[in-house]
Amino acid sequence: MTETIELALKTLESQLNQPLETALESCARCGICAEACHYYQAESKVEHIPAYRAEQLRSVYRYEHDFLSKLFPMWTRSKKLDEPTLANLTEIAFSQCTLCRRCTVNCPLGVDTPLMMRAVRAMATASGTAPEILVMLADAAIEKGKDPSFYKEMFLDQITEMEEQLRDITGDQNAAIPVEKQGAKILYVPLAGAHTILPPAVVFNAAKEDWSLSIFEASNYGVFLADVNRAKQVAKRIVDEANRLGVKEIVISECGHAYASYRWDVPNWFVGEFNFKVRSLIEVLAEYIQDGKIKVDPTAIPEAVTYHDSCNLARNGGLIEEPRYVLKSVVGDFREMTPNKAEALCCGGGGGLVALAEYADRRIAAGKPKATQIQKTGARVVVAACENCRLQIGDINEHYNLNVKVTAITDLVVRAMRLPKPLPGHEAEFLFDDEKVTVA
Amino acid sequence: MILLILSQLLALVGLLVGVYGITIRYAETKRRALPADKSPLKGNPQHGITYAFTVGMMPWAKESTRIHMIAYLRGIGFHVGIFTAIGALLISPFWGFLPTMLSTLLMIVLGLGSLLGAAGGVMRIAEHNLRGLSLLDDHFAVWLVTIWMAAAALALWNAGVLIPFYILSAITLAYIPLGKIRHCLYFFFSRLFFGKFFGRRAVFPHPEPVKIEARHD
Repeated sequence: MTETIELALKTLESQLNQPLETALESCARCGICAEACHYYQAESKVEHIPAYRAEQLRSVYRYEHDFLSKLFPMWTRSKKLDEPTLANLTEIAFSQCTLCRRCTVNCPLGVDTPLMMRAVRAMATASGTAPEILVMLADAAIEKGKDPSFYKEMFLDQITEMEEQLRDITGDQNAAIPVEKQGAKILYVPLAGAHTILPPAVVFNAAKEDWSLSIFEASNYGVFLADVNRAKQVAKRIVDEANRLGVKEIVISECGHAYASYRWDVPNWFVGEFNFKVRSLIEVLAEYIQDGKIKVDPTAIPEAVTYHDSCNLARNGGLIEEPRYVLKSVVGDFREMTPNKAEALCCGGGGGLVALAEYADRRIAAGKPKATQIQKTGARVVVAACENCRLQIGDINEHYNLNVKVTAITDLVVRAMRLPKPLPGHEAEFLFDDEKVTVA
Repeated sequence: MILLILSQLLALVGLLVGVYGITIRYAETKRRALPADKSPLKGNPQHGITYAFTVGMMPWAKESTRIHMIAYLRGIGFHVGIFTAIGALLISPFWGFLPTMLSTLLMIVLGLGSLLGAAGGVMRIAEHNLRGLSLLDDHFAVWLVTIWMAAAALALWNAGVLIPFYILSAITLAYIPLGKIRHCLYFFFSRLFFGKFFGRRAVFPHPEPVKIEARHD
């Protein structure tokens, strides 16, 4: 047995808890999960059935743990883990499953196939066979956390520039983007890029919020690797920052995996150190609108708008009604996709796939059902509250000629706030290829 | 008569092996770690668990069963037949005291379950996806249970089939912990974890309209 295989098996053993063993043992192989998967919907073949994918791990598990399979491997198609099997498993887990859990909710037994795919990802990461780019991105974030001073000065310069833009846009000379504000109530954690800082800054200032901008980004590539050790180190940067500033709440940018991990997983990794509430920016927007802390024009966006439920936010995160509440406050013609909410189709970009250029073709192909769904709504604007979803929908928009605009919820809210000047890149019009539509 | 008693004893041994095997499986799984979830609740895990075992099992609760209603009903009928066969086995020494109507009803349920099982067995061979997914274990399990149910139905009709029924019962019950039939145990674990996961996140059951969560102060 090579060291790689030994590490992979050791990781499988360490992952084997009650939920994982249950997922490995429950399947009746009825195949009813097939159509639940966007990969299968896009291309109907056995390999795209969630149960088939899970069987690839089960065959290894059974060989190690099942009495009958050890005696008669043929009986249950069980096999000893070897390098080609691990390579196949790794490819399946990173390129053919976005961990969306749509198969789970459609399974009569509720088999958690994504949990098994996570176990495979963990095996691949531990044995050094996971996609390098994800490992590099996670490690870069960890390094950044070790010595933020290296880039902090540059970051603060950028924020100063953004602050000037903010004042110009809002007409409020007191508008600010506070960083490392001791005792602030909210620590807002953006993604990389001004587009996740400036629009929320507009909202926070309008609501007169007591907030501070995190110097770190919310993305956590350790989560995609299913590597709790790395994921924990990435998250620790923000937990430490929140503790240092003494904030009461961490607000996560419009990001699916970051929200799901900080809301549902990270508190389990830092028991005793995690004394803050975690909310998504969407929940904060809903609260501001509900409480009248920001004024929005319900007629500001006349275009037909549809909303894509990010799997991490809706099915895996429980954020289902909040985005709809916000959108219905600022959009006149809101159209639901079918199916939606907890049954929503994955766009195909989840699970870190957007970052994996080598699987771009598969990702675009698997996005076809979502493209069809969008087309059926007749909407011209697609809103997604997750950066990876927006990137994927942007790509399928181009590939399948959907001719829609893809935007974030905060962007629409800011448009509906009718500022003296539009945000950069948010001119007061949605420009389509075939027409020009006035928005405000 | 001796053969009948021997076959009954064999069925009893099968039952004991099955129960012992499943108990071992249960204990082994329970010995594994159960990750604690300390994240603050949004919904209610208890409600989620209740949902998972009730409304969540209904055919309209899932897209998959809505579009495959016939397959769903076939599965339900098959499993009703299996549980009826277990019940019929347990009361088999008293079959002679059953009212005719009840024994006829049992025969119908078992016969129907057997037919639906056979349909499932044929589907596993004929349907491309199912064939690709199925293991020898799956084929064996579905036909074993199907023939067992058929034997139960026939034995209720003709006591001459009792001995084969008891022998088949022994094989079926002893096979439960060994092969795919043990999903009968993991079904409960699976729905429990499903309910806890989605319940605490307020995904299932999903309150509508949801209250916008209040801020920290």
